[in-house]
Amino acid sequence: MEENAHDPRPLVYEARGLKKLFDGGSVSALRGVDFQVWEGEFVAIVGPSGCGKSTLLQLLGSLDRPSEGTLTYRGKSLADLRDPSAYRAAEVGFIFQAFHLLPTFTVVENVQIPMFEGKLSRSQRVTRAEELLQEVGLQHRLTHFPSELSGGERQRVAIARSLANNPSVLLADEPTGNLDSENAAQVVELLLRLHKELGTTLILVTHDAGIAALASRTVRMKDGRIVTSSPNLPAA
Amino acid sequence: MTFFTVIIRGLLRRPVRTGLTLLGISIGIAAVVALVGMAWGYEKSIGRQLDVVGIDMVVSNMGGGLLPQVFDQSLQAKVAALPHVAETTSTLMLMQSVEDAPLIVVSGREWDSFTWKALRVLEGRMPKDTGERAVVLGRLAAEGLRKKVGDTLQLEADELQVVGIVDGQAVVENGSIILALPLLQEITGNEGKVNFVNVRFTPKTTKTEVTLLRDQIKEIFPEGRALEASEVVGTSQGFRIARAMSWSTALLAIIVGVLGVMNTMLMTVFERTHEIGILLAVGWKKQRIIWMVLCESALLGLLGGITGVALGAAGLKILEVTTTMRGLLEPDLSPRLLLTAIAIAVVVGVVSGLYPGWRSSRLSPSRAIQA
Repeated sequence: MEENAHDPRPLVYEARGLKKLFDGGSVSALRGVDFQVWEGEFVAIVGPSGCGKSTLLQLLGSLDRPSEGTLTYRGKSLADLRDPSAYRAAEVGFIFQAFHLLPTFTVVENVQIPMFEGKLSRSQRVTRAEELLQEVGLQHRLTHFPSELSGGERQRVAIARSLANNPSVLLADEPTGNLDSENAAQVVELLLRLHKELGTTLILVTHDAGIAALASRTVRMKDGRIVTSSPNLPAA
Repeated sequence: MTFFTVIIRGLLRRPVRTGLTLLGISIGIAAVVALVGMAWGYEKSIGRQLDVVGIDMVVSNMGGGLLPQVFDQSLQAKVAALPHVAETTSTLMLMQSVEDAPLIVVSGREWDSFTWKALRVLEGRMPKDTGERAVVLGRLAAEGLRKKVGDTLQLEADELQVVGIVDGQAVVENGSIILALPLLQEITGNEGKVNFVNVRFTPKTTKTEVTLLRDQIKEIFPEGRALEASEVVGTSQGFRIARAMSWSTALLAIIVGVLGVMNTMLMTVFERTHEIGILLAVGWKKQRIIWMVLCESALLGLLGGITGVALGAAGLKILEVTTTMRGLLEPDLSPRLLLTAIAIAVVVGVVSGLYPGWRSSRLSPSRAIQA
């Protein structure tokens, strides 16, 4: 199943027999997932709706805890973290399908939100947020509210926010799911560029085979299990 | 953007609800300021009155009302004969409706005693003697009754001449109708009766001697009590009732305030479950979320407290100049009361935020973000 078993790069995530049950055990979202991700990889997770892709992403981001099995991040068990929020703040950046921006905060303020858990001063936070927004091409939208932006722009703000604390992993849950094809292409292009430029490990859940094909590896899931995990051929 | 910006934005999310909650706290705190301010103010003005007149001890029969019951004036001579008593004077003080004033202090004073000497004549003169059917009015009483020197004043069935307007340097004095004791006794059918014997000690009287004097007065006047000036307010049944009533009303206002803020903050937490989920997802610690909710509710309390203090103080000032209360009320709007009221409001805010804060910290990020 694992094509990269002897990958020389450091192991970022390792899941063994990962299970996740809901509603007192009556719903089984993950049914024993074995999964590894190496430093700098771009992994696309694909599969039909309800197959457990987003649940797996949430466990990787420590938004939830597994019901059974082990999940480690750089050798440390995520289930045993004393303070999962510190891990979320420092190590991972989330990008969601529904953007999840805070509507009462401007673009530049939304990007600063994760930085409150860091050590930057007020002015450093502003500078960092402005730099990130420039990076995603939104330097002209700093003082706008999310409601004043297009879907693609909102997702770019969310990408800038996910990078706020220099995470080593980006977890993107169907980031183009709410976008038209033009905006979707721009967002994917941006994610790929950031992945390459920053060397960030990118784990992306998608329904789109075209986007999955851009990843270095595609993990295919069905009924709460991983059915295939195979590297993608480089584009010709 | 600072953490404070986050707090402010949280409150401005629902401006109408925040405004209504603020109004609720403000009214509660205004009630605290008004009621406690009145009670403290009245106590303070009585204390000042005794101080101005130079009374060291008051002998009376506090039966439970705001003013004591009457007793035989002959007690004064017995008290005067006791050791360490330098000077005594009797007073008959009544509270009654006079002409347009629904309730006003009418003070009958032994002629030529030291209780007259603290009065400064502003207009007119003092009564010539006990035989003159005349009164002097404290300046606030004169304003309230709309009387000037030369007018007549209807007291019970008698018409008395206003011969002077005086300043007594204390609100109770300034709000009183003052006349000779025998005249008031005659008009009100209280011949030979008084309800206060005021005592001045001989110089250098010690605490022990005062205690001894008090015991001796108790022997000759078992149904009454002798209180040092500083104790009068603290031990008065009427003041105790007024104080208890003001604090219990204030407590009710505080409870209502707590419930109001708690309701608002719970609604806020429920409504912002999704937002809290986002904050948790981007790495905010649960403690920071709790702190955010607590700060929001504390800020609500602080703003409500400041507004409430302003409302309460304004209300008291307005009440102070109304015809009904003129001369009876000298509210205590000391910094101690105002700061206490604001502190109460902040505590109300913090206490109200504890449960909602705890609720918010229990949210699962994955569930909350899907809300």
